[in-house]
Amino acid sequence: MRISELFRLVYLNLSQNKFKVILTSIGIVVGTATIMMVIAIGTGGKQDVAEQFKNLNAGAIDISYESTNSSSSSGNSGGGFPGGGGGGFPGRSSGGGFSGGMAGGGFPRGGFPGGSGADDRINQEDVSLTEDDMDDLQVFVPGLSDATISFSTKADCDGGELEDTTSFTIAGVKDNYATLSNMTLSMGEFLTEENETNKEKVCVLGYNTALEIFGSGYDAYDGTVYIDDRPYTVSGVLEEMGTVSSGISPDEAIFIPYATGVKYLTGDEVSPTITLIAEDVNNVDTIKSYVTDVLLDSYPNSEFTITDAGSKMEAAMASNDTLTMLLIAMAVIVFIVGGIGIMNVLFVSVKERTNEIGILKALGCKQSDILKEFVFEASCISLIGALMGVMIALGITPIIERFSVTVVLSVSGAIISLLFGVLTGTIFGFYPAYKASKLIPIVALNQE
Amino acid sequence: MIDIKNLNKGYMLGEEYLPILKNINFHVDEGEFVAILGPSGSGKTTFMNVIGCMDISDSGEYYLDGLSIHEMPEEQLTEIRNKEIGFIFQNYQLISTYTVLQNIIMPLLMRGMDHRSAEEQCMETIKLLGIDHRLDHKPSELSGGQKQRVSIARAMAGNPAILLADEPTGALDTNSGKEVLKLFQELNAMGHTIVMITHDLKVAQSAKRICKIVDGRLSEYSVR
Repeated sequence: MRISELFRLVYLNLSQNKFKVILTSIGIVVGTATIMMVIAIGTGGKQDVAEQFKNLNAGAIDISYESTNSSSSSGNSGGGFPGGGGGGFPGRSSGGGFSGGMAGGGFPRGGFPGGSGADDRINQEDVSLTEDDMDDLQVFVPGLSDATISFSTKADCDGGELEDTTSFTIAGVKDNYATLSNMTLSMGEFLTEENETNKEKVCVLGYNTALEIFGSGYDAYDGTVYIDDRPYTVSGVLEEMGTVSSGISPDEAIFIPYATGVKYLTGDEVSPTITLIAEDVNNVDTIKSYVTDVLLDSYPNSEFTITDAGSKMEAAMASNDTLTMLLIAMAVIVFIVGGIGIMNVLFVSVKERTNEIGILKALGCKQSDILKEFVFEASCISLIGALMGVMIALGITPIIERFSVTVVLSVSGAIISLLFGVLTGTIFGFYPAYKASKLIPIVALNQE
Repeated sequence: MIDIKNLNKGYMLGEEYLPILKNINFHVDEGEFVAILGPSGSGKTTFMNVIGCMDISDSGEYYLDGLSIHEMPEEQLTEIRNKEIGFIFQNYQLISTYTVLQNIIMPLLMRGMDHRSAEEQCMETIKLLGIDHRLDHKPSELSGGQKQRVSIARAMAGNPAILLADEPTGALDTNSGKEVLKLFQELNAMGHTIVMITHDLKVAQSAKRICKIVDGRLSEYSVR
């Protein structure tokens, strides 16, 4: 029988059983909607991760130091030391040569007597990474393409349209920071080497900071911001970056030359982060071990926190992939349930239409034609269900987005969902169709 | 046209073999109108199933239009049913969801013909049977006589070698039955070969030749 005639028969049967078609396809409707949402949410999740990590260079390795000796009174957030005395272990004092130490609020404490092992000495000293350390790393660690050093702290600012003094995040950075953090400027230029060398009081404003202080990026450019009561000229304004996963949030920060920051804001109480850029992303682990060795030479009792952007991205991606897999598993279950539903209804349909099949066979209809007719019927029911599923997915997207879930609908997602829907129905519809095609003519014909 | 030699057919009833058709010899020439008369349980429906290629014999030979039916596999029998045999059933066996026209042209569609060509080919028969004004109706909207005419039109659609009618008047009132039998005689007069199975002697008498089947044996026949 011609395919067109088979489809005509399928249309005839389906159009006369509209309600049954809808009920049969419900499983496929739900399955298709689910798989489309899974794809959309999965893509959204990946986009979220990419968005959060967009300021990170994949080959970036951050080195910072966190003292377990919490008695430092340093206020800059780069080191993250809480102000005031902490509960340090007794029997230790900060080593000479380093700033801070117990000086901030340290007073002798009782508690556990001394005699701890060597591990107890780790990170008890207030180490401050320096530009010299960065230079050392650049010299002794192979496979680096670039390096920078930065810190961030909070400082009171005034100027522009600000009515009151407001605290902002101040980031002391080198001139290469913008490039390494994938930041782009909407206006002006980023900090230059000259600014750094001359310790000039210039700054670059983050997008939101510019809006808050000056009302717009345009007004901010060449304006003056008073940081800690010192005037800084705005040399540039950054484009909006959005939320970032870690480090300094560019939109909310004011960038000043590193040396200027050290001179006017932090003094020696700075705990910066050194960022190294690996030439080859695949060598990050090797570089990390070199870094550990080099720093161990300089600071034998200190352990540095060394993190790489790639690992963070991988962890976030892996977490997103796990979520996606979970959703896919759910969609597969829904599809199987939907497919079994179709199979059941088709079995009932074959039973109901046994006499019709008998007539067709008596008239000389081939087994293959009967098989095709029932398989096409299953496919068409699935296609209708899948189309309804796609429409439902489109309909519920705004509701899901209200729960702050990023949903990225795509044509390819819709096509994949449709294919899955039709494929499921067709596969599950095959067995009933096969049974129908194998009916014995005289037995089928005599069945009422 | 039909040549059956020493045909036997039975079924297993548990472990016991139950013979239904016993050593049947049967011959029909082209253009004949033969009635097979038999009481209920005589094996006439089984015989019709074998003649109609819907069932196969246990032994014996069956030739239809020179073709060795007894040696054919199911796929070929399907093709024979479609091209060589036109079935007319007691309870019409029309597909309720299809229209009259769709029912009639179905055997042609099965041959791979398109809808329009099939419709054109059947139109003459449809007019001959006087159902051309009912083509878009569903079978449920027709009278018994009309349904049987549709069934006959469907049987004739593919221009088969024989028309095989199983109790064609069984579900009809007397007048409709007479009309159908008259139609058979007219079709026979036009050259169609007809084999009709019935339990009713009056119905059988409308045929040119009557064969009697009793207890699975086609034992006697009379030429009218």
